[in-house]
Amino acid sequence: MARRKPGTLLPIETEILEAALALQRTQQATFHGFGLAQTMREQRGSRSLTGHGTLYKALGRLERFGLLTSTWEDAPTTEGRPRRRLYALTQQGAEAAERALAARPAPSSASPFPRLAPKPA
Amino acid sequence: MSPERIATLVARWARLYTRRLPASIAERRIEELGADVHDHIAHERGHGVGDRRIALGLLSRLVRGLPADVSWRGRHSPVARSVVRVALVTAAILLVPLVAMQLSGGVAWSPADFAVAAVLIGGTGLLQQLAARRAGDLAYRAAAGVALAAAFLLAWTTLAVGVVGEPDDPLNALYAGVLAVGAVGALLARGRPRGMARALLATALAQALAAAVALVVSLAGTPADRLGSVADVIGVNGLFVLLFAGSAWLFARAAATGRGRAPFPAPRRSGHRDR
Repeated sequence: MARRKPGTLLPIETEILEAALALQRTQQATFHGFGLAQTMREQRGSRSLTGHGTLYKALGRLERFGLLTSTWEDAPTTEGRPRRRLYALTQQGAEAAERALAARPAPSSASPFPRLAPKPA
Repeated sequence: MSPERIATLVARWARLYTRRLPASIAERRIEELGADVHDHIAHERGHGVGDRRIALGLLSRLVRGLPADVSWRGRHSPVARSVVRVALVTAAILLVPLVAMQLSGGVAWSPADFAVAAVLIGGTGLLQQLAARRAGDLAYRAAAGVALAAAFLLAWTTLAVGVVGEPDDPLNALYAGVLAVGAVGALLARGRPRGMARALLATALAQALAAAVALVVSLAGTPADRLGSVADVIGVNGLFVLLFAGSAWLFARAAATGRGRAPFPAPRRSGHRDR
């Protein structure tokens, strides 16, 4: 497991914030775990989704740091499926994501970064 | 292998690693994972992905997340954290004689010595963590600290050098009795401050009685049979009497203020049934 230097974010946390910012830019103010995992997969250009434990543990940490907030989805909108925990970037989280993006080296491929995922299920 | 079977496996694993955590934390994780797995299956099926591939994807996410699940559990479980902390401190302390044995021929610990020391240090540490976590009163925590330190010192001294005479002197068995009085008293009191005060007072009296027996036996024998000077026997035993009595006084103070909470659950009343 990557070790944290004081005042810094782990790579998985930066990746989550960047994916959350990408979703926010597509007018999605909130996102849920699986939707976020999909966006992260898209941005990485990977075939696999982030492990359950890794994802939700990191989401919990970011919430504790005040970079994300979360609430349960309203019951009437769940359409017969399990209700989702909906996350949103805080102002501080959005700023951290912007800083992480600015610090990232320019992508080598022609495609612009971040790539945006299709709207999650 | 169907996605639903792997979903059941994910749910079972989540229930297992959230067992005995606060309900709000456990329910949130289980429910959130349930929604994630449901969304995962629905999304992949909606995109024409075969069931076998979906199941493998779910299994892969489960397996890759296992270390994080275990570490997350440790963070939310005070007991697991305490056990890890005590184990690390015990290992660090035992490294000292281990390293000393490599550097000097004067230190020679057998595997049994290490095992006894690990049990003594680890056991004392775990009891200290229990008292420190559950008790809300400074007097209670101080009382528990003094009692544990005294019990640890008494056990260590008895095993290593003997409180009276040599370590193999039969009279040293008296001090196992002193420790037994304290342990049984603490169990009967279930950590409640008033009961603990009585238990530690009984331990102090048992220590004084052991000292008296040791003195009488020693003085009745020939000078060669004596177990050290009278001053030594009184001094060493007196120190332990003071420590146990001091702990009893601190427990009594905690009982008087009423803030010290029992670290063990109260016994059930007969006739009461849990629902």
